[in-house]
Amino acid sequence: MIHGHWHEKGSASRIDALLSINDLGRYALELEDGTVYYGEFAHLNVSERLGNVARKITFENGSVFITLDNDAIDSIFKSKQKINGFIHYLETHLSSIAMALVITLFSAFSFFKWGVPWTSQKIAHALPYKTNKLIASGTMDFLDTYMFDESNLSKERQTEITQHFKEKVAPLSREDDTKIEYTLHFRSWTMGDQAIPNALALPSGDIIVTDKFVELSSNQDEIDSVLLHEMGHVVYRHGLEMLIEGTFITVAVMMISGDGSGLGDMGIGLGSALVGSSYSRGHESQADLYAFKKMLLAHIDPVSFSNIMNRMTKYMSESDSNRSTEINGAKKSNEKVLDYFASHPSTKERVELANRYSECFQQGLTVCK
Amino acid sequence: MESLRFTGSGSEYFKIWIVNVLLTIITLGLYYPWAKVRNRRYFYANSTLADRSFEYHATGKQLFIGFLIAMVFFIIYNLVVQVSPQGSVIVLLVLFIAIPWLIWRSLMFNMRVSSFSNVYFSFTGKLGQAYLNYFVYPLFLIIAFYGAPVAMAVVAPSLMNRGESSSLMGILSIVMFLSWIFAFYLFAVIKKRNTEYVINGSRYGQGVFEAKVEAKKFLMINLKTMGLGVIVMLIIGVIAGVLGGMDNIMILSNPEAMKTRQMPEGFALTIGIAYFVMIFALMLIMSYAITRQRSYIYENTLLDNTIAFESTLKARSFAWVMLSNILLILFTLGLAFPWAKVRMARLMLENTLVNTEQGFDTYISAQQEEQSSLGEQIGDAFDVDVGVAF
Repeated sequence: MIHGHWHEKGSASRIDALLSINDLGRYALELEDGTVYYGEFAHLNVSERLGNVARKITFENGSVFITLDNDAIDSIFKSKQKINGFIHYLETHLSSIAMALVITLFSAFSFFKWGVPWTSQKIAHALPYKTNKLIASGTMDFLDTYMFDESNLSKERQTEITQHFKEKVAPLSREDDTKIEYTLHFRSWTMGDQAIPNALALPSGDIIVTDKFVELSSNQDEIDSVLLHEMGHVVYRHGLEMLIEGTFITVAVMMISGDGSGLGDMGIGLGSALVGSSYSRGHESQADLYAFKKMLLAHIDPVSFSNIMNRMTKYMSESDSNRSTEINGAKKSNEKVLDYFASHPSTKERVELANRYSECFQQGLTVCK
Repeated sequence: MESLRFTGSGSEYFKIWIVNVLLTIITLGLYYPWAKVRNRRYFYANSTLADRSFEYHATGKQLFIGFLIAMVFFIIYNLVVQVSPQGSVIVLLVLFIAIPWLIWRSLMFNMRVSSFSNVYFSFTGKLGQAYLNYFVYPLFLIIAFYGAPVAMAVVAPSLMNRGESSSLMGILSIVMFLSWIFAFYLFAVIKKRNTEYVINGSRYGQGVFEAKVEAKKFLMINLKTMGLGVIVMLIIGVIAGVLGGMDNIMILSNPEAMKTRQMPEGFALTIGIAYFVMIFALMLIMSYAITRQRSYIYENTLLDNTIAFESTLKARSFAWVMLSNILLILFTLGLAFPWAKVRMARLMLENTLVNTEQGFDTYISAQQEEQSSLGEQIGDAFDVDVGVAF
């Protein structure tokens, strides 16, 4: 005997009712007003179990019986609901919950830690070089329209740097990827009245250096070191990788939060930003390492890199301290608090690595452990 | 008047949620529509009024195709945004044009698959109205808000050259001011129209919902919200000023920190607190607007001219639950999400009152086409929120 309510098809009005099943596979539904319905048990349709929410049994004529007595329903309809029974089993057993929790935490962790970067990298490298060009197409125009002005450097100086780059620096990456064609662009970039020292690489192999950067550099080695860093980004296809990573994270976060309906959006957004920034930190270190290795091969002292980095940082912090700037495509705010959120590894770490490679250089090594 | 109740619990929902997440992971996301159905079913079925519960009838299979289309669109959008700025503008434009249709479809679908006490809801609003409310009016709003400043920016340089800038610029400034006032008013009108579109198009069985709201009331709520916002921002400004002063002192007293560009220890914490206060303030202001609008809308809604509604949701409790939920989720790395969701559902339902004296026994499901078209499910997959639901 299961106690519940009975509704006529499509009606909101209800009446108390008792449902019982006999051994011959027939049911009896006894309404409060004395009416009794009989029928084949096999013709009944029962809703899936979900927590302890009310269960609904639909009869042949479309009328329904609703009850909260989930356990009784389950024992009667045992054979009728195998798949859902499995999900409900998972939902109600401590061991499977614990297992789900562990698997979820582990997968989430490995997904963000290894899965996303690894897959993105694989996809980025599997895609033809043209994709890189495609991503960059339009970007240069966009930058020229909204951010950059023409360079004020003399034509001779530009040709000199370009010449050196073409002959000495660009060939260094030939062993990594023969398809990339590097092109050097000179631009002037000012925000307000402040000139920004910077170098940026587009995935297509276009490298942009700003006037202020050239001005701040004290020798050819320093320029080369930064250009090599930018080439690192291009060789490792970081642009494409970031793009794929971003898509991955957003989709994953959307799914896990279910229909989050904006509830945890802020927390989730913050989390995604942190994860994303940790990836681009990895990219910067990778590009640094690439530059240092090439520098050893080209007999350039890696200390040049830390010299120019320090000079740029110093220049930026000395000038208007409220302005934020971009170095290699990432926001580097002068507010040091936000360093954790900034995508660049702290300057200190980078300088330390540069110094280590510099020591190798002093010892005349071409490979540094 | 009787309030709705929520009979579920965080721990029970946690189990359902974690299994959903697990199956979604194992199936590489394909289980998502089924997970969504289980989530919705749980929340609908645990929402009760006068001992009767709601029910969500959509199936995972129904949602699956819409889900796939939404996913493909989403990935394309993400790629286009990165590849070309012009492309992303086009995609956004397409989305902007499609939104009224999506909202309309989504309303139809979601009402059609919802029932209360064995009687289905339905939505009878027209597509044309949806375009008026979610496209034409917002377009006017954008023009009213950005039109004058843009015109100014375009005209200003040429005027400067001719040296007659002052008088014309003065006129333009007045025009801008007036058009902003108009935009502010239009904003309230849009709220009124959207509310009426959704509620007056809704049916419960043969029952007709009717909301009679005035733009003036929404305008007053918005004005008060703005006033509140100004006050709160002033307070935060003063606090930030004091903290900013501390920043300088700390750096001055520790020149070493300045050299290495390293933060003094406690400083990150101060900034963290400031950030937190800022979020809290914004939430409080937002909550004020949301709860006031909710109360006003509910008070003026009737089902069949007899069944009345009321919202007792207070800004403070709404803001508190929202904020503590965010913290809960942050500090548990998302694991407390089910509890957060249950808390919010409980708060919303318990502050929704319905006049149940007359009862619901006379309501009967209207005849509906069983087959729901693909378009409706797509609308649902994009999760467009019109923000007037329970």
